[in-house]
Amino acid sequence: MVSDGNKMEIKNLTMYYGDFKAIEDISLDIPSRRITAMIGPSGCGKSTLLRCLNRMNDLIYGTRVEGEAILDGENMYQSGYDAIALRRRVGMVFQRPNPFPKSIYENVAYGPRLGGIKKKEELDSIVEESLKKAALWEEVKGNLRELGLNLSGGQQQRLCIARVIAVQPEVILFDEPCSAIDPVATQLIEDLMAELKKNYTMVIVTHNMQQAARVSDYTAFMLVQEQGEPGRLIECGDTNSIFTNPTDERTERYITGRFG
Amino acid sequence: MSARKADRIATFVFTLLGFISIGILLFIILEVLGRGLLTAINPKFFLGKPEAMNPGGGILPMIVSSLYLAVLTLIVALPISVGAAIYMAEFARKGRLVSSIRFSLDSLATLPSIVFGLFGMTLFVVYFRWGMALMAGAFTLALLNLPILLRSTEEAIKLVPQTYREASMSLGASRWTTIRQIVIPSAMPGIITATILPIGRIMGESAAIVLTVGTFIRNIPVNPFSMGAPLAGYIWFAQSEGLTPDYRKIVNGGAAFLLLLVLVVYFLARYAGRKYQEKKLMGARDGK
Amino acid sequence: MRESLARSLIKGDKEAYMKLLLLACASLSILGILLIFLFITRESIPAFVHIGFKNMFLSAHWSPITGHFGMVGFIVGTLFTTVIAIVISAPLGIGTALYIDQIAPEWLRTPVRRGVELLAGIPSIVIGWFGLITLVPIVARITNTSGYGILTASLVLVVMALPTITTLSAETLKSIPQELKEGSAAMGATRWQTMYRVMLPAAREGLMVATILGMGRAIGETMAVQMVIGGARQLTVNPFQPTSTLTTRILTEMGEATGDWRSALFAMALVLLLLSMILIISIRLVSRQRRVAA
Repeated sequence: MVSDGNKMEIKNLTMYYGDFKAIEDISLDIPSRRITAMIGPSGCGKSTLLRCLNRMNDLIYGTRVEGEAILDGENMYQSGYDAIALRRRVGMVFQRPNPFPKSIYENVAYGPRLGGIKKKEELDSIVEESLKKAALWEEVKGNLRELGLNLSGGQQQRLCIARVIAVQPEVILFDEPCSAIDPVATQLIEDLMAELKKNYTMVIVTHNMQQAARVSDYTAFMLVQEQGEPGRLIECGDTNSIFTNPTDERTERYITGRFG
Repeated sequence: MSARKADRIATFVFTLLGFISIGILLFIILEVLGRGLLTAINPKFFLGKPEAMNPGGGILPMIVSSLYLAVLTLIVALPISVGAAIYMAEFARKGRLVSSIRFSLDSLATLPSIVFGLFGMTLFVVYFRWGMALMAGAFTLALLNLPILLRSTEEAIKLVPQTYREASMSLGASRWTTIRQIVIPSAMPGIITATILPIGRIMGESAAIVLTVGTFIRNIPVNPFSMGAPLAGYIWFAQSEGLTPDYRKIVNGGAAFLLLLVLVVYFLARYAGRKYQEKKLMGARDGK
Repeated sequence: MRESLARSLIKGDKEAYMKLLLLACASLSILGILLIFLFITRESIPAFVHIGFKNMFLSAHWSPITGHFGMVGFIVGTLFTTVIAIVISAPLGIGTALYIDQIAPEWLRTPVRRGVELLAGIPSIVIGWFGLITLVPIVARITNTSGYGILTASLVLVVMALPTITTLSAETLKSIPQELKEGSAAMGATRWQTMYRVMLPAAREGLMVATILGMGRAIGETMAVQMVIGGARQLTVNPFQPTSTLTTRILTEMGEATGDWRSALFAMALVLLLLSMILIISIRLVSRQRRVAA
């Protein structure tokens, strides 16, 4: 499948929490309708980088960004850029499933309602479609009024995915989406991601290298060299090449350390 | 003295102290109810009109005044305290303004209630020319209860998991929409509990309302700007003036009734609080 | 932050308006305390001008009809009742808190705590009435006096201050890290030794704050004290003689006071205000001490 160019381009991105430099000079392409995985040891800044891509780090007091993150040719960090509209185009699935304390229906309908959709028939069809795309419809179609929090962990995460899909984003960011769920549910979600790839650009942060190898098309490896240093991008490229023939020896050490 | 012996003595002493504290509570409740319960539950009493000089008066306008005052106070206090709590919980950053707000709240919380009464009298009764009025008391008590309302509401809001806010904003909702649609509804049960508790305090307040609302009325108050006679203030009035020959019976009955009222509100608040806890843990099932 | 808020307002950003509105709500607390200060001070100025500081604060002769407004007697009454009340209620409250935290069996813990909360909720007028019909006769019989006076008032104040001290102390004790308590027990200390050597020192500042706040309640109490203290205008240090406190005097006379008399009562309110401020500043000083030591 030929990719139609880069959906996002990260150029020399550096991020600070107050005075502390968390990540430094990251440059990375996110190809359209592919899955790009970010791997690396704990604390290397991959989640921080991910959260830069939908400007969620803005919500933390005292953060500052240098460099650019370009979506469809426009830098999202330029002054005057609408961050709220950005998040409707770039959605996020979090590490721990976090459905709202509302019914399944209301969880999925939340996003479309924000966009001004009020008619019941429209909302009904969006909810059904999104739940189907998230491979959850069959399991919940009879209890849409039930509290989202009553579902199992894996189901909750798929509910969160449906919630994001309902907004019709172009990019979906996954922040270690399976780390809080059991292996069977994880498998379901990985299969789901392969399906979603057809329509969405996806970036996934994971500390599970087997998952990265199974699921992604491209992989980026990040590392903090010494304590106190910012996270840096060491290597990125086609997933197969990275895992079978890494260029940088640090990449190799990380990969073989875990596999071996 | 051996360590073990000291430990045993200490255990005995502290157990005794604990029992003394509870003993005080029980003693007061038993004495007050013992002397006044029969009067209090007599319909001729709590549904009757008061007498200025003659025996046989009732306290209905006083009970209505107390409830009316509580409602008015909450109407004034809730929007302000919820608004302020939202600001403090969601937007406030360390700085001089926030420190000043906290300091002011601490000051308001420590001030004697009679000072609030004087303030209310000076500002609302005299300066605004309302005269003795339920609304004057409402505003005064709103200020008096602001610290506690704000703190408990703020706590309820802070208990809402941060991850809900993140999820909402990551879907493209603005800060304010997130607060309105996710945070406040989630915190609502806690806010309701936080609101019910001060009702008891409001109805029990006497020093601040004697100077702002009134101590004796004959008829049930309707106009919020008319004078009222909340039960707590009337009890004091009846006792200190002692004009009716059966004033002791009236005060006994009034005190018992007020105590019952406060106990009911307290247990209601606890019950609401427990229901809230259960709901949080189990999740409501409303459907098949 | 403030410049970006201003910029957003100019842009007409609805969210910035909401934020400003909420900030206004929060700032009402500042407005409230300032207004109280302002009005109380303003109303008390005539007293300072016409009567004078010396005649008010260095005299105990209070006789409004003849133009004497010496309030030393009432200041003494306030301080005296507060001190006696705290001397009794602080150990009682802290002891009860220790009982709740360390000694009470599991099933008793919550009922006792709820009981103390309930005590806090009982209206002061009810406690005052209880003092009047129950405590006054008892004190009268034991001491062979009228039963009204500082002692009875202090007893009533004990009831009022006790829940505050107990609840706050219990919170403080609960917040002591479990590891500290366990570490001591693991070394073979008895419960009392752990309490005495580890918990009380660790909780010292919180217990002090609890006591200071209890004092605040005692100083500020009006109704309950008024019913048992006798309402006499004389200065006395005899705990069995009727007298008054600042709060009870204001309550009793405000209804009929005019002119300078009224203004003098406001001056007494000013004294109460200043006493409250002293308490708050003490609390901040006590808390700061810990931050420095840590």
